[in-house]
Amino acid sequence: MSSLPTRLTIVVALAFPLALFAQNPAPAANAAPSPRRDLTGIWEPVRAIEGIQPSGALNMPADGKPEHDLHLTPYGRELAKTHKSSNGPDEVLPTEENDPAHACDPMGFPRQNLFEVRATEILQTANQVVLLYTFNRIWRVIWTDGRELQKDPDPHWYGYSVGKWTDDYTFVAQTNGTDARTWVDNAGRPHSEDLRVEEVFHRIDHDRMELSMTIDDPKVYEKPWVALNKLQFRWKPEKTELLEMMCSPSELNEYNRRHASRGAVKK
Amino acid sequence: MLLAVCGLIALGWTPHANGQDPRQQGPPLSGVPAPHRDINGIWRPLIGAQGTGAAAMPADGKPEHQLLYTPYGLEMAKRNKSSNGPDAVAAVDENDPAHACDPQGFPREDFFELRTTQFIQTPLKTVLLYTYGKVYRIVWTDGRALPVDPDPHWYGYSVGKWTDDFTFVIDTNGTDPRTWVDNTGRPHSEDLHVTEVFHRVDRDNMLLTVTLDDPKVYQKPWVGLKDVRFTLMPASTELLEMLCSPSELAIYNKRYGSTTNKK
Repeated sequence: MSSLPTRLTIVVALAFPLALFAQNPAPAANAAPSPRRDLTGIWEPVRAIEGIQPSGALNMPADGKPEHDLHLTPYGRELAKTHKSSNGPDEVLPTEENDPAHACDPMGFPRQNLFEVRATEILQTANQVVLLYTFNRIWRVIWTDGRELQKDPDPHWYGYSVGKWTDDYTFVAQTNGTDARTWVDNAGRPHSEDLRVEEVFHRIDHDRMELSMTIDDPKVYEKPWVALNKLQFRWKPEKTELLEMMCSPSELNEYNRRHASRGAVKK
Repeated sequence: MLLAVCGLIALGWTPHANGQDPRQQGPPLSGVPAPHRDINGIWRPLIGAQGTGAAAMPADGKPEHQLLYTPYGLEMAKRNKSSNGPDAVAAVDENDPAHACDPQGFPREDFFELRTTQFIQTPLKTVLLYTYGKVYRIVWTDGRALPVDPDPHWYGYSVGKWTDDFTFVIDTNGTDPRTWVDNTGRPHSEDLHVTEVFHRVDRDNMLLTVTLDDPKVYQKPWVGLKDVRFTLMPASTELLEMLCSPSELAIYNKRYGSTTNKK
């Protein structure tokens, strides 16, 4: 018996071996028209690194560039100071970081779309769109039966989502009720319980879909910001098997025991 | 508050229905015919948390629930220190991987905190969305066979087929022997084979029986769930969110550790 898959999982999740993903072949696009009001299928980011997003939200990376500097409210600034990430311009040593997901707390939403986005299966029922994520084997339900978002929702790790078709190829989901303990992305961007997220899934043709996502949290940010701007996905054959990538504290302990001394050296 | 409740439930302190005939629980059967080869929907099992082990084989010390281990299985069982069952250790001495928020894996997903579960059928697969852990399982129904020498996965590899118009049978192998079978630390090896039989009785009810076959660990196959009744819920039912969180566990242990570390 080999335990290779699970060991690989943890290395990938923690160490982000970017070179492995840098040369993704371009997809052979099937430009056949997409079925209407239908996102069903297995979808994978065209460029794997764009799904992994190690430096924060793909279209707002924490790279120190002025155009990626988010304008935090005073409350947001205080909140941000409490997040110690080992990624981004304000990175700390791994031994000093406090990323809750690195301790295997649920990553939550919207981070599920902003870190380790890999092959994702979308199912539709009469009243739901269901997403099956690779990372942590998490499912999400987006209600499509016309219900509204709750006005004063209890916090949930993955929030509460409703969605509707705005045209035959565009599905828009709104989410609130997220848990303020989670981080927005891998760089430790914070959010409050007032966060509202809009996802726009646009199916271009049979083989291509793009996802945009906007973060609106007036308690933390002075204005809404775009975390994903048309992240490209390609359709995968129906028999594709999703990998199993689960966060495991026992594996993390083992990893830290073996490699912590190297990880604690500042770059 | 919600999360705190989840934490308590996750640790197995809700009452459970071990010992009761599941078919006798809940409202009378509706008798309305079920659709053929269809278990789509949101189903609520009439069973508790199974805090003292698999409902049909609880670790209660009774002779009829004594599992016959192989020598290899006995050694494995000795390493698993559970704070539940007749050989319970103090909470501080237990080593339940799921209590540290490792994935509880399969088949434990059937044997601990089995709660409302959604089933979605597609032409190629049946997908199960579990409440506990918010994890899904994929059961391939395209006629493929189980892998002969599978790599281990927390939730195994599953294939399923209809054996008649109302009976869906899932076979699983490729599970990860680091996981426990149930809340009392019954072990399994990488050779474990699990058979789940979902039998739809009528439109509103189905029964689940689960059998474990692991000749490396147990001298003979044993039944972990027997005819556990599920009732069909309205399609608008929202599944609870129950996720294991190491940070919540740390807070819980800090507050209550002193009261839980006594045998």
